[in-house]
Amino acid sequence: MKTIKFILMIMVAAIALNACNKEWLETEPRGTTLEGNYYKNADELFAGLVAAYDPLGWEVVSDYSSKVGYLNTASDECWAGGGGFADRATWEAWNSYTLDAAVGPQTDFWNRSFAGIYRVNVLISKMDGPEMDEALRARFRAEAHFLRAYYYFDLVRLFKNVPLFTEPISPADVFDVEQAAPEAVWAQIEADLNAAIPNLPLTVPVEENGRITKGAAQALLGKVILTQNNEGRMLEAANLFEAIHTSGVYQLLPKYGDIFRPDNKFNAESIFEITHTSAAVGYWGPWPPAGEGHIFTQFCGPRAYTGPTYQAGWGFNPIIPETVNLLKGDPRYASTVANIDSLEQAGVATYEKGYQNTGYFIQKYAPLKEFFGLGVGEPVLEWPTNYIEIRLADVYLLAAETFKRAGDDGKAQTYLDMVRNRVGLPSVPATLDNIYMERRLELATEGHRWFDLIRTGKAATALAFKGFVAGKHEILPIPIGELNGTKLKQNPNY
Amino acid sequence: MKKFTTLLLITLLPLGMLFAQATIKGKVTDKTNNESLPGANIMVLGTTTGTVSDIDGDYSLQIPDGNQVIQVKFVGYKPTSKAITIQKGETLTMNWVLDPEVSELEEFVVVGYGIQQKSVVTGAISGVKSKDLESKPIMRLEQALQGRTSGVTIAASSGAPGAGATVRVRGTTNFNYSDPLYVVDGTPVDVGGIDYLNPSDIESIEILKDAASAAIYGTRAANGVIIVTTKKGASGSMRVNYHTYFGTQSPAKKLDLLNATEYATIRNEMLVNSGGQPLYANPGQFGEGTDWQDVIFNKNAMVQNHEFSVNGGNDRSTYYLSLGYFNQEGIVATDISKYKRLNLRLNMTHKVNDWLRLGNNFGYSHIKSQGALNTNSEFGGPLSSAINLDPITPLYITDPAIAGLPLYNNDTTPAVRDANGVLYGISDVVGQEMTNPLAYIAIHLGNYGWSDNFVGNLFAEIEPIKGLKIKSDLGTKLAFWGDENFTPLFYLNAATSNSKTSYSRSNSQSLMWNWENTVSYSKKVGMHDFSALLGATAYVQNSRGISTTYKELPASTFEEASMNYNIPDANKIGSGWESPDHKIASIFGRLNYNYDQKYLFTGILRRDGSSRFGTNKKFGYFPSVSVGWVVSKEAFFPEVDWFNFLKIRGSYGVTGNDNIGDFRYLPTIGGGRNYTFNYDGLEIGYSPNAPANPDLEWEQTSQSNIGFEATLFNDFRITFDLYDKSTTGMLQPIQLPAYTGADDPTGNVASMTNKGVELELSYRFRVSDIEFDIKANGSYLQNEVTFISDGVDYLSGASFHNSGYEISRLMVGEPIGVFYGFDVLGVFQSNGDIQNHVDANGNMIQPNAKPGDFKYADLNGDGAITSDDRKPIGDPTPNFSYGFTVSAAWKGLDLMIFAQGVAGNDIYNGLRRLDIAAANWTTAVLDRWTGVGTSNTFPRVVQGSVNFTNPSTFHLSNGSYLRIKTMQIGYSFPKNMIQRVGINNLRIYVGANNLLTFTKYDGFDPEIGGSSYGIDRGYYPQARTFMAGINVGI
Repeated sequence: MKTIKFILMIMVAAIALNACNKEWLETEPRGTTLEGNYYKNADELFAGLVAAYDPLGWEVVSDYSSKVGYLNTASDECWAGGGGFADRATWEAWNSYTLDAAVGPQTDFWNRSFAGIYRVNVLISKMDGPEMDEALRARFRAEAHFLRAYYYFDLVRLFKNVPLFTEPISPADVFDVEQAAPEAVWAQIEADLNAAIPNLPLTVPVEENGRITKGAAQALLGKVILTQNNEGRMLEAANLFEAIHTSGVYQLLPKYGDIFRPDNKFNAESIFEITHTSAAVGYWGPWPPAGEGHIFTQFCGPRAYTGPTYQAGWGFNPIIPETVNLLKGDPRYASTVANIDSLEQAGVATYEKGYQNTGYFIQKYAPLKEFFGLGVGEPVLEWPTNYIEIRLADVYLLAAETFKRAGDDGKAQTYLDMVRNRVGLPSVPATLDNIYMERRLELATEGHRWFDLIRTGKAATALAFKGFVAGKHEILPIPIGELNGTKLKQNPNY
Repeated sequence: MKKFTTLLLITLLPLGMLFAQATIKGKVTDKTNNESLPGANIMVLGTTTGTVSDIDGDYSLQIPDGNQVIQVKFVGYKPTSKAITIQKGETLTMNWVLDPEVSELEEFVVVGYGIQQKSVVTGAISGVKSKDLESKPIMRLEQALQGRTSGVTIAASSGAPGAGATVRVRGTTNFNYSDPLYVVDGTPVDVGGIDYLNPSDIESIEILKDAASAAIYGTRAANGVIIVTTKKGASGSMRVNYHTYFGTQSPAKKLDLLNATEYATIRNEMLVNSGGQPLYANPGQFGEGTDWQDVIFNKNAMVQNHEFSVNGGNDRSTYYLSLGYFNQEGIVATDISKYKRLNLRLNMTHKVNDWLRLGNNFGYSHIKSQGALNTNSEFGGPLSSAINLDPITPLYITDPAIAGLPLYNNDTTPAVRDANGVLYGISDVVGQEMTNPLAYIAIHLGNYGWSDNFVGNLFAEIEPIKGLKIKSDLGTKLAFWGDENFTPLFYLNAATSNSKTSYSRSNSQSLMWNWENTVSYSKKVGMHDFSALLGATAYVQNSRGISTTYKELPASTFEEASMNYNIPDANKIGSGWESPDHKIASIFGRLNYNYDQKYLFTGILRRDGSSRFGTNKKFGYFPSVSVGWVVSKEAFFPEVDWFNFLKIRGSYGVTGNDNIGDFRYLPTIGGGRNYTFNYDGLEIGYSPNAPANPDLEWEQTSQSNIGFEATLFNDFRITFDLYDKSTTGMLQPIQLPAYTGADDPTGNVASMTNKGVELELSYRFRVSDIEFDIKANGSYLQNEVTFISDGVDYLSGASFHNSGYEISRLMVGEPIGVFYGFDVLGVFQSNGDIQNHVDANGNMIQPNAKPGDFKYADLNGDGAITSDDRKPIGDPTPNFSYGFTVSAAWKGLDLMIFAQGVAGNDIYNGLRRLDIAAANWTTAVLDRWTGVGTSNTFPRVVQGSVNFTNPSTFHLSNGSYLRIKTMQIGYSFPKNMIQRVGINNLRIYVGANNLLTFTKYDGFDPEIGGSSYGIDRGYYPQARTFMAGINVGI
């Protein structure tokens, strides 16, 4: 008995000692790495770069957040659409210009861009760590600068007044941040792109398709300069656009309809493409849903459709008849507009007429049966469509505009003619009005129209029918949550 | 102990009476439960002649003849005596039925690591005894608590079979995780829940409500501790018990939805109001249409329960063995709403010698449940569909013209048919996730989830010298769970179809072990009564799981699906996960002291270390003190019949919480930030996880409590408590502004208080032959969020459909989860009304409104209705919870009514989908605004209006209710009748569960717990059950 008592005493003592032992309470993380042990080689830097690209492809941030879909909704090209009124409240808010600080697309745009900027800033702060090939390091750094410029370009256009970060923010300073002067943001964007251009490759091997090239950075810088509307810098922008043409890397595709096919990605006309794939398993459950698919394809398809060619979609972004009418007779019509009403009238298809239905749907990103269900997951989350964020025809039209505004009418005419020639249209005089009209026709539903209207000062007139108020709706409200406890100021009139 | 004394007495029993000339014999039984009482003392008054009843309560005694007074005494029972006259040589049968002495002193309460006499307990502890639960339709432990004790707010998560409940002890203490800690037979079973427990195995449940009681479980005790003790064997003869009940369940309430004619009329009006054309030329032609509720509700869903137990033992060993089987069908979509539970329990104790005791408590459960109903979700499921589908769509398609439509004839996504091949109807006006409920059921047939749990502990206790006990206890919970699901090809509607079969199987497991070593010592020196406890525990828990999905299997039903099919590897999707060890190491001590059971003191200190905190903050200290004063023991306390006992007590203590994810204190890198290059070159991206917080530490909840316990008129008891609980340094995601771009780190932010009052009353009395027992309890609770983080005065809460505005918030100065929205002033009756709704400058506030639209309050006075015109509009948490039980017994008959209710809360009615203009309505819409003076509460029906999509006071209802939870009438057969056939007790009963609910809420059920607390998105209502049962003991 004394022995047992002794043993138990020892046991109690042992456990008591154990309880004091901090080491016993230390557990090692598995399946993750301490930040201090990461970014130690080129592969790990590359993984950090991939993370910085990642937000480009976010189709759901807090709501369905397709950049193209939102911009179509806000423009005079499309309605919000969907199943019923306010099927997506954030879309409807921009559709009808009823957005306020709480409801609208602002949270999606804001969060996506700042997530990207944070990942870029982390990456740049780690860039000099590993021993690696210096040329590769320079390329990674250039891509990071491009991405930061890209994210800020969206922010400054959409919000104008945003905080400016070029390094990860320290937790202590989080709530002391103020909005930067827009000029400072523009300057940073240009500085980033200028830093990026020399170290980016002209072309990339096939397996790197989608990574940023020199052409993409030049085109973006041209756009950035043009968007600032400084007439004195138009030639500077024009020369950037021309450099893309003269590089010889890109060609307009002979057939307009081939540009958008999901089996013709990274074609000769594509300069900067945002990628999607059906190779990652998509499924419902988490929010945002899992996968790397192009959900907007599902979004813009005809609702409850049964018939040839298309898979049923959710009926968003029906095209407004005025835009359709402009395109009627244009060779680009069939590749731009999916006329589902006519299919129904021909008796080969049926579909549900959702909210704001016009019978016309987006063809460029349409849910084509042949690309449905190629992956193993939930097919509606796995569309393999890409967005071509910058393509050569866009650059040519920007070149035409900037040369025109710089006074070089001859070059303006050349670039405008190239775009029209490709689809077999005769030359028209390269007036600014004609160039802008060509942009509408060539780039319809690709998400350019709203930015074009804003930067040319035409939005108030063109969008009055949707409720656009001049002096307010040129920019979005700062998301309501960003004002909670911070020093940020709401944009005017919100 | 009592039994042990009995056994000692039996051995000392005098062998015979030399001068005896007559004999009495008989049986001694307990009046309350008719059980035999071994060890009762039977004496001839004024002599030394006496005996003790044997193990079966029987006795036989030789006594002198003549006039004698026989007295029977037994500890814990009122002594009784009877005068007899007995002849020489006569044998008289005298049975004795003893009345238990109801006294505070004999009652014991299970506290952390031990038991304590109730009269000297200084903390606020509520309890439920097995006696209150026997033969009640209690399917889960939570139901045993609801309405039976004060200080606990319970709301069922769902009325589905096997569903759990939201349990809050003295309010919500944490924004994210407020579930109490369950300790079963000394083993914490916080991971994986307590649904493994068979309620009929429960001996007692104690709720440690105040910090002073809970502090001994310092770790994670902030949310209160619920101690469950399972039944143990008792020495004596073997007792076998069988209890079964069968019941039939039905929904207590149907919603008043529009019939097809009414629906078509309203739909036409809506379209016309929206500038369109009526859709239905002749609404009357549709008649009543389809009643989708009838389709999903089962008015005769079965429930059955069987419990079989054996217990007994001798002076060395005792055992309790039980077997339970519970089978319940759901009242909604019964074919896919089922629950089965099988339980096995073996509890044993062995007294090896007079200083060593060994024992074990072991429980096993197997659960199989079906419940893919997606209830209380606006995103589909049979219940939500039944509410929202138009009544015009037929259940079945029999018209060949319709059956020939392309949507019914797609090969890759075939329309669903019943067993006879008849097509289920598909609505052409209501889509999204709203689908024909029978078709939904058909594609979910067979899918199920399962779990196996082994929970138990082994202990050894030595008592080397009297009063010193050394105990080592090893507890474990080994849990396995998983599910099997098959999804066939289907087309339910345009938004809901599947073009690839899939079959998935998941398996997960969790291992928890907890080793506790304690030393306790009790000593009484004169009037000074000391006891001290010292202990140490080590706790480790981890879990892991895998799941596999096979796509494009050649199968069309669950039965046909198999993972033996050879399919291409590309169609096999696998995934897995594991959690790191969660470790807690603790040392603790407790000192109890009382002087003459009059002045009471308890002090506790516990130190916990958790693997979830960084090196500097691993350990947390949780102290508590409590004092009590038994006033009624004082000399000055008047010795009156009507005031028997009074104790005043007070306590203060601190408890903690480490319920956060692992490694939040370390800066880590996370994957899954992926992007694709070229066509399918998926690259895995890595970037930092949320910023690390190396200073993370224990969340602390401090609580003060004062209370009193009193007994009046011997049997009228009052327990009263007043508490003030304050949580600080709450472990919370720190919601950083999104411009940081990082995920939210975890920090010790946010504070919340809960203040409340609790009252428990019980009274036992007798009116002639009828014995009454009345218990009542009530709690008042006021919760307030007092701090979120610097500069942040709210966090967005629940979202609702596609409404862009959140419907609830966490707000400083408001109760948790307060409903947030617009303030509806009324309905604009005319254009004049709209023109008159103006701001200070005379400008119209709602210039775009039309007559029949809601008139909103312009709270900030800026002349427009914007997001700034929202305010707190309701509270989902009840301020009052109460319950009462009335029992009456007359001879063998017994009657029991148990009711429970809450008050002071609101329900957000979200039954109707906002984005489906064609969704059906409740008949409330018949009183809508249709012209001047028609309604000031229900707006016009129109598409594209914010009347319904804006969260507002319009969606709120009073959530108070009073529910007759259980009503039961039973009959116990007289002993003398059944003992002839070898049965000790036999009781039959009939009863009803959820018989009546009094509420103003017009949804299915006002009790809405779970993750969507207080928000009705199509809540699975609790069933009304009628049942009959039988209990046999031998």
